[in-house]
Amino acid sequence: MAQNRFPKPDFESGYKYPEIHHAIPNEELLVAIDIILLVALMGIVSWAVIKKRTRGPILWVSVISVAYFGFFRKGCVCSIGSVQNVALALTDNTYALPLSVLLFFILPVLFAFLFGRVFCAGVCPFGALQELVNIKNYKLPKALTTVLGMMPWFYLIFALLYAVTRSSFIICRFDPFIGIFRLGGDIGMITCGVILLIMAMFTGRPFCRFFCPYGALLSIFSSVSIWKIKLTDKPCINCELCHNACPVDAIRPPYANKAKESRLRGVKRLLNYFVLLPLLILCGAFLMRSVSSELSRANKEVRLYDMVMQHEANPGDVLSLELEAFYGQGDSIEGLTQRYEKVQADFKLYTTIAGALMGLVVAITLIGLSVKRTRKQYEIDHAACVGCARCFSYCPQYKIGNESGNIAL
Amino acid sequence: MEQKKENKNSPIARRKFLRVLGTAVAGGSILAVSGVLASRLKNEKEASYYWQIDPQKCTHCGRCETDCVLQVSAVKCFHANKVCGYCDLCGGYFRSNAKELNTAAENLMCPTGAIQRKFVEDPYFEYTIDESLCNGCGKCVKGCSSFGNGSLYLQIKRDLCTDCNECKIARVCPSDAITRVSMDTAYKLKD
Ligand code: SF4
Ligand code: SF4
Ligand code: SF4
Ligand code: SF4
Ligand code: SF4
Repeated sequence: MAQNRFPKPDFESGYKYPEIHHAIPNEELLVAIDIILLVALMGIVSWAVIKKRTRGPILWVSVISVAYFGFFRKGCVCSIGSVQNVALALTDNTYALPLSVLLFFILPVLFAFLFGRVFCAGVCPFGALQELVNIKNYKLPKALTTVLGMMPWFYLIFALLYAVTRSSFIICRFDPFIGIFRLGGDIGMITCGVILLIMAMFTGRPFCRFFCPYGALLSIFSSVSIWKIKLTDKPCINCELCHNACPVDAIRPPYANKAKESRLRGVKRLLNYFVLLPLLILCGAFLMRSVSSELSRANKEVRLYDMVMQHEANPGDVLSLELEAFYGQGDSIEGLTQRYEKVQADFKLYTTIAGALMGLVVAITLIGLSVKRTRKQYEIDHAACVGCARCFSYCPQYKIGNESGNIAL
Repeated sequence: MEQKKENKNSPIARRKFLRVLGTAVAGGSILAVSGVLASRLKNEKEASYYWQIDPQKCTHCGRCETDCVLQVSAVKCFHANKVCGYCDLCGGYFRSNAKELNTAAENLMCPTGAIQRKFVEDPYFEYTIDESLCNGCGKCVKGCSSFGNGSLYLQIKRDLCTDCNECKIARVCPSDAITRVSMDTAYKLKD
């Protein structure tokens, strides 16, 4: 390592060291523009889907978002990834969360709570990119979408697990579109991104529906949002046109629950849920806890600890770069062991929580499948609706309503 | 209790009640989370923003060249003129078989010939690194740190780095040298 082998130079000629300036871009300004643009674009989308019910502005917002947040800002930090920073900040108070990251996280959630997933409609560069390439909407079978629909939740849970244990930001690591925005990067991930985009041409937003952890989070808030997207103020004539138009299968067809279940059967079903729910949660918690030490290998300290232990066992082997650095820096094995045990304990706790949450996701999905409620007409499922505004122009009733201009908020 | 009563009345009323409840819970949780986080924000100047290498920790392993997400790494070689400049004495960044001690590309460890120097006073030279050539491989740094004062060092250029939410080099850095720094400690410099 570096040492002071030669004394500081002492000049006779009166030489002065050159002033060195390293370039610093105007970061504060860029961050400010990011936030202002984020709010402005979400505002435009909210106005377009809730008040105006038109798709035009959303396409423009998508173009701006892909150009600015995507290609210009290279997609970092994005709202999707900010989940991890926020989780880390909540559990570890040595991590100083930048205000901009907090805003990137909370503003889309707030808008989802007010107006639905307007962030997804076109402000998120990933969603916007998929939206812009989409040309055809082939529907996927219900069984497939239900199973795949659980993936964003699992992804979210794993992302949080690895973030709070300071292991890795997996959302950032396995980001399929960032390589496209940066015009370079990990070949594997770019290939995934291209495949997803090709899929997005033929079916609506595969990444949003089956992977995006932030979309999963937003869907909680959009399902209880204060203002909701409404197809038309006129009564629905059950023409099915909107249902066919929706790229993300967010429009539920009418359903007549003919078999009115008896009271006894209803109670039985409820009881089944009460058994099923804790059972699945316990199973999940147990399963995840039992693989906690395998999962912890994603953590750098754990890997280093394993390497050091292996080396101590047979010291003859060649040193890897990690070991060279470890011994070179004079780090003590006791210190490392302490850090290792701390990480292991964290993993034990958090994998248990994660497993329980995963069980909960499965249970809720199952319950959702078995609960059938009557719908008289086509209804938007606000959790799934990404506010793309495609459906409006398909609705024959909407056209009448819109021409007379009596659209109320 | 109330829920139960509604339950008996009609499923519509129950659904409505649940929705209001959901909205209230969701709104409350937004307020709570932003409140907690806002209290953690402290001073904006202290927040962890930019990835920087700690030159004291870096072991010039070479991964900075290969692991950055950019095609040409955002890591470049810096030279601290105040720390050293006696390279003809130690020869740290020269190849072991260098014919002459000058910055002709064939004499340098540097694979791209990015190191330039200006004679100041025997035996001191002032160094500049041609940033457009340097790929952050750290070969010169290795030589300089092994034989000299370590005035050459690697650092992430703030104008090139795209500030990945998780620096890809930090993930593989064997010496844990890369961490986030706050806005006002713009660069971790050696001099
Ligand atoms: S679901 Fe995720 S990727 Fe899709 S638009 Fe929403 S935030 Fe973006
Ligand atoms: S706006 Fe309409 S078409 Fe678009 S996702 Fe929502 S329900 Fe589907
Ligand atoms: S990866 Fe780490 S040790 Fe290797 S050159 Fe970069 S900063 Fe130095
Ligand atoms: S040897 Fe490598 S790090 Fe040093 S100047 Fe040349 S390219 Fe840059
Ligand atoms: S943050 Fe990203 S761009 Fe910057 S040095 Fe690390 S990998 Fe390269």
